[in-house]
Amino acid sequence: MEHSIIFWPVVLWMIAWGVVGSVVTPRVFLRRDMDISNASLAGAFVGAASGPFGLAPLWYLAPKSTRGWVLLSAAGALAILIAAFALADPDNVCVTNGSLVASQVANGLVMGTIYALMAMGLTLIFSILRVVNFAHGEFYMVGGMSVYYVSAVWLPEMPPAAAVLVACGITFVIGGAFERLFLTPMYDGRVERPIEYAVLVTFGLVFFLQYFVQALAGASPVKAQRFFDFPIIRLPSAEDPWLIKTSKANLQLFDTVSVSNPRFTAAVISVLVLLGLLFFLYRTWWGKALRAVSQDRQAAAVAGIDPNKMNMLAFALGGMLAGLSGAVLVQAFSWVPQVGMLPALRSFVIVVLGGLGSLPGAFIGGIIVGMVEAAGTGCIPDPQRAASYIPAYGMLILTLTLLLKPTGLFGRRE
Amino acid sequence: MRRHIPATACGIGLVFLAAFPLVYGASDYDYIMHLWITAFFYAILASSWSLLAGYAGQFSFGHMAFMALGAYTTGLFNNYFYLTSAATGTCFEIPLGSWYFVVLDPIGVSASPYSCLDAARDAWTVDVTITKPSLWFGILFGILVGGLFGWLIGRLVLRLRAAYLALFTLGFSEILRAILSAEIGVTRGQAGLELDPLFPDGVSILGASFDATDKLPTYYVMFALLLACIALMMRLERSRFGLFVRSLREDEDAAAALGVHTVRYKLYTFVVTSMIAAAAGAVQAHYIGIITPNILIILQMALVVAMAVVGGLESIVAAAVGGVVVYFLLEFLRNDFTIGAVSIDMTIWRLVFFGAIVMLTLRFQRNGLLYAFIMWCTRAGVAQETVAKRAAAQQPPGKE
Repeated sequence: MEHSIIFWPVVLWMIAWGVVGSVVTPRVFLRRDMDISNASLAGAFVGAASGPFGLAPLWYLAPKSTRGWVLLSAAGALAILIAAFALADPDNVCVTNGSLVASQVANGLVMGTIYALMAMGLTLIFSILRVVNFAHGEFYMVGGMSVYYVSAVWLPEMPPAAAVLVACGITFVIGGAFERLFLTPMYDGRVERPIEYAVLVTFGLVFFLQYFVQALAGASPVKAQRFFDFPIIRLPSAEDPWLIKTSKANLQLFDTVSVSNPRFTAAVISVLVLLGLLFFLYRTWWGKALRAVSQDRQAAAVAGIDPNKMNMLAFALGGMLAGLSGAVLVQAFSWVPQVGMLPALRSFVIVVLGGLGSLPGAFIGGIIVGMVEAAGTGCIPDPQRAASYIPAYGMLILTLTLLLKPTGLFGRRE
Repeated sequence: MRRHIPATACGIGLVFLAAFPLVYGASDYDYIMHLWITAFFYAILASSWSLLAGYAGQFSFGHMAFMALGAYTTGLFNNYFYLTSAATGTCFEIPLGSWYFVVLDPIGVSASPYSCLDAARDAWTVDVTITKPSLWFGILFGILVGGLFGWLIGRLVLRLRAAYLALFTLGFSEILRAILSAEIGVTRGQAGLELDPLFPDGVSILGASFDATDKLPTYYVMFALLLACIALMMRLERSRFGLFVRSLREDEDAAAALGVHTVRYKLYTFVVTSMIAAAAGAVQAHYIGIITPNILIILQMALVVAMAVVGGLESIVAAAVGGVVVYFLLEFLRNDFTIGAVSIDMTIWRLVFFGAIVMLTLRFQRNGLLYAFIMWCTRAGVAQETVAKRAAAQQPPGKE
């Protein structure tokens, strides 16, 4: 970075006033006998965006609803950060090269959609069972491994779509069986502290599944063939394809945005599955029953829904969604039995950011995390260091969310 | 009779472990000693985690991060701090009487590091003594840093419960790992930070001298550390502290309503357990001689959790013994075995069985295998006694 003298003081200034805002604002609100559930979040953002100039009116006015303040100052803080970065590092590729930025944004959106799919499985499980499935990444890994083994090793003739279905089936069965075998004692009070029990037993499942797959498949990386080749399209004309230009493995829009084939396929499948999931949850009896149980367990039971059955369905379905996102990504990344760790951590981040148990929250959170990772890997100078910090970006979001607003963006208060 | 089994077994075990390095003489002496030292290391971690999770109900997955903080603090201390008898002029230095306390500049991972001290060494014309401060200061420093971060993390997670707490601490651990592996200039990242052995100049005990690579002194250091940690934790457990902490686990609000200072006791627990973890990490780092960010991957944490679960989450001694037993099982299950035509490569499958054992223990014997046995022993005859007492009480007086 060329003029880091600009960037770091700005960041420090923002952090300092953010801390001041998040600590002092709840006290000010409390003194005025007001709701403080959003106070530290509002204080942190207003402090970061405008320092004392915003905090003073916030404390003086003490508005009942801080939503507008939060949104405005979040945008302001982001703008200040970007401006400081651009001033500090004028030669950075993200500042000079607009098409790279467009590509990064497109890739962030594409990856965000796939992340959202996986996180939705986690949040679905949480909304029904109140359990955080620590083995979510292992379902992802099993999904990808099954696609590779079915389509490349056992049945090379099999079309990839069928292999994806097989992967869904396998992860669905594993999820359902695990729930029946290990989580049932939670429901009837046989376990003193059910949440902690679930945390530990899913942690055990991580160990088991990871090494089980390693024992069967070995530790060397595998990669599936890409599912489809793009047809060659040149629009509007073959000589000057400024609108769309495809090759077998790549898609280019407007001469700037380029998305690789495996990611594009994965994102399209993810969007289709998301739509299917929404249809299932809102238009079918089983989906409505699931949502009913997540809203009020006892009332649902009174209305004739068996909550235990819904527990099993939710866990199986959640595992299947993770398996599916693994299944569509195995053509984009190489696969080892340990591959699930990062996506699992990312899913935790997404669901906490969006609010544990909230489906729209998982989707928005997925997009946000996808964008942050794209910006973090693409723009930070010193690429090796940037790559090492990939897990930390998400964890930073997680930490901030838990400290400032533990219920997340769309979470319900428990 | 059954009631005395656990205490007797503990006594025999202690005598056995204290005498073991002196009487064992087989050719695999070094290997077995290494196993014991590492087993003690895991036992310390598992038992302190059981205090944090089993007693206080704080299911933290950041325990290995505190261990790594201890290890890296002492590692950096060992690598960057020197004492010289003359000013270097090139490094950052603080005069201390006739000595200079020198802090090196970050060396990075270059093949032939040339630090500011090397530059000074080339420039000096007179004889200058260069020594390192005793590494025990580094270990002490590591313990303090572990405690400080334990306090900080404990402070941050006060409001978080159950799953949120687990996620937050996991996040802390991952961020620390990312920092350790990314700041290559200081920590050398995946290349690993090298440390001096625990007794760099050897040591002589009762006339017998041992050099730096002998395992016997380290064995006793680690063993003493384990005993000290367990003694400390048992003392805490038997005091009001233990009672308060258990009340936190059962119902935090009720405990607060009854006058337990919940914030203070939660913080105490975090600080004590992270200091213990940091101590274990610091000593183990000097014993192994090299540390990498991989010491705090999630599977290491899973191993410690599994040890505590198999031993018994709600008993410190059971968790420690569980750590030793599980570690030895994992080590001895490395041998392949053949049933008929099927030959099983145990180096991989042992971990599969192990994961299954953890899940099954949780499912069917939640308090751990060992703890169940201890309970079975100590509660022998309690039922008969109660029945006898009740019968005596029901005998209406003066009926005859």
